[in-house]
Amino acid sequence: MESGRVSSSVNPLLAMLDLRAITDSIRDYAIFVIDPQGIVLTWNTGAQRIKGYSASEIIGQSFTRFYGEKERASGHPFELLAQAARDGRVEEEAWRFRKDGTKFWADVVISALRDETGQLRGFVKVTRDLSDRRKVEEQLRQSEERMRLMVGSVKDYALFMLEPDGRVATWNTGAEALKGYTADEIIGEHVSRFYPPEEARGGKAERELAQAAAEGRFEEEGWRVRKDGSRFWASVVLSAVRNAEGTLVGFTKVTRDMSERKRVQEQLADRARQQLAVAALGVYALRTPELKLVMEQAIRAVRETLGGRDVGIIVAGDRHGRDSAGGFPIHAADGSGKAYGWLVVSRDPPLAGDEPSFVQSVANVVATALARAHFEEQLRAAERTTVVERNRLLQAEQALRERDDFISVAAHELRTPLTALQLKLQGLERTIQGSGSPAQARLEGALRQTRRLAQLVDRLLDVTRVAQTRLEMARERFDLASLLRQVVDDFREPAAHAHSPLHVEVPEQVEGIWDRLRIEQVLVNVLSNAVKYGAGQPISVRLEAEEDRVRLTVADKGIGIAEEDTARVFERFQRAAPIRHYSGMGLGLYITKHIVEGHGGTIALTSRRGEGATFTIELPRFAAAAQEQARA
Amino acid sequence: MTSTRCDRTILIVDDDDDVRNAVAEVLEDGNYKALRASNGEAALEQLRTVRPQPCVILLDMMMPVMDGSQFRARQQSDEALRQIPVVVLSAHADATSSTNMAAVAFLKKPVDLGELLQIVERYCEGD
Repeated sequence: MESGRVSSSVNPLLAMLDLRAITDSIRDYAIFVIDPQGIVLTWNTGAQRIKGYSASEIIGQSFTRFYGEKERASGHPFELLAQAARDGRVEEEAWRFRKDGTKFWADVVISALRDETGQLRGFVKVTRDLSDRRKVEEQLRQSEERMRLMVGSVKDYALFMLEPDGRVATWNTGAEALKGYTADEIIGEHVSRFYPPEEARGGKAERELAQAAAEGRFEEEGWRVRKDGSRFWASVVLSAVRNAEGTLVGFTKVTRDMSERKRVQEQLADRARQQLAVAALGVYALRTPELKLVMEQAIRAVRETLGGRDVGIIVAGDRHGRDSAGGFPIHAADGSGKAYGWLVVSRDPPLAGDEPSFVQSVANVVATALARAHFEEQLRAAERTTVVERNRLLQAEQALRERDDFISVAAHELRTPLTALQLKLQGLERTIQGSGSPAQARLEGALRQTRRLAQLVDRLLDVTRVAQTRLEMARERFDLASLLRQVVDDFREPAAHAHSPLHVEVPEQVEGIWDRLRIEQVLVNVLSNAVKYGAGQPISVRLEAEEDRVRLTVADKGIGIAEEDTARVFERFQRAAPIRHYSGMGLGLYITKHIVEGHGGTIALTSRRGEGATFTIELPRFAAAAQEQARA
Repeated sequence: MTSTRCDRTILIVDDDDDVRNAVAEVLEDGNYKALRASNGEAALEQLRTVRPQPCVILLDMMMPVMDGSQFRARQQSDEALRQIPVVVLSAHADATSSTNMAAVAFLKKPVDLGELLQIVERYCEGD
């Protein structure tokens, strides 16, 4: 219909556009014809759909209304027509406006229509709404940009792509940082350049690519080489990239430097190995008493663990006088803080990390072994001394026992001739008794001497019994005061003979339970001692009784003894007085002390040289009972 | 315990010649008859042959060949000799040995003559 309004000259054009039925059915394109002045001549369904105008609204109107204000003002619509008239065709993608004023991204193609004479008759304009495509494209562009930025900014990983043949296609910051190449240097180069030469020659890169292509993915940890030739331990993931049709279009490669982790792992392994070596050495040292073997084992342990060529122990004061600088001190066992020597390790590369502390630990084990050897040596020396001393003591005890046995046997042997002697003398005495013979007095003297001999023998036997703790006590209740008076009476004559008057202070009665004969022996001993050493000075004897104990004090004013000797007088065969004419064997006080102590009592001597001596004896009154209590 | 018709005979058993003779001498001075034996075995031999048997035996303890306790055991097991009382004379002042010996008396060496005569007389009385 609309075409009827165009001039007949346009008819051939219209005839050309007899495809109107077809164009009309096209919905996705606005297809319409404008005359050389830009007046819309035709309108199809697509145009109506895209631009919003109906045919009746727009036919006869200028095509400029599809453009924005600014473009209209700048004459852009007619520039396009001029261009199309000149070039036959013009295409642009740009914003266009719908009837309702909204804009859409349009792909516009304007083609000039000329008649057979070449006269410009108009233009056919085909407009496509690209808004949706543009939106997708924009998203894709932004996404790609983000990806590019992201990949590009990753520094810790080398992220790059390879062509299917293994040439480098892309490069990121991380790749540059890790491998040292710039993108310009490396893109287009084959991936095998990142491998150690020997591996590259062996075709490792190609094998890995083939495996990734076959399995989609390949992963490994291995050595890689930087641009400068240095190596690093890398973790590599290689993934095949295929397009929708499944054709291999390349690979992505992610490489990470694991050197630090590998170093830490190796360090941990090293440390574990070192600790194990120290522990093994410690156990060996515990089981091995020989210091030399421990030292050899220590050297072996260091050599095997660290791979040091030259490992040794330099002992301080070594005459070779080698330099111990850098050596690890083995501390001396004497606690002086000085070094016994040094554990020296020579290795290239020099010791690093935990290695020095490992070597010091080994040196410390050696020091411990040294200390133990030192201690054991001291112990052995001490044991030797102890054995010697014990033997000496045993020998001394043996000698003492033998002497006691000898004294015992000798005493018995002495009694036999004494028996014969005494019987003969007593027999003789009887025969001449009353005869008035002067021989009678001499016989009495001889008999006194035999009795004295018999007493000495008795005392000797007492000593051996005391020494063998065989002193038997026969306790009974008696009056000590009365016994003391008797003994003192017996001593009056010898005391008078020695010009030592006896002053006695004794209570009426002092009863107690003691061994009567032994206590008598004690009284005799201390009194005879006082008379013997009294040097003609008065002697005082005093007995005091308390409820549960008695005290006997016998004091002379004689020669006395040095204060430091007072304890010794109670020992066997000790006699404080060196003066030859005093008789006795020095046993009396020894026996006295044992008897007193056997009763649970004490005896003490206070004396000074030249100032007399005082014996103080204290006895429990009921010694037997006291002892029983002590035992319970 | 006094033996009948022992005729003041006393057997001295001691290995020491001097002691044996000294004892014998003082006993003979006191009108006793002294028999001498130098050990237990010799003493047993004499006891089996000699008549009259002694009123008392003075027995030393430590002797060679047969000592005092061995002699005493043999004597006690012999019906004919069992009745003869024994006085122990010993250098050992060990009271328990005389108890075990079932002796009538114990005299410690050196022996006091008065004591010896007093005991001996006790077993010769009424003879």
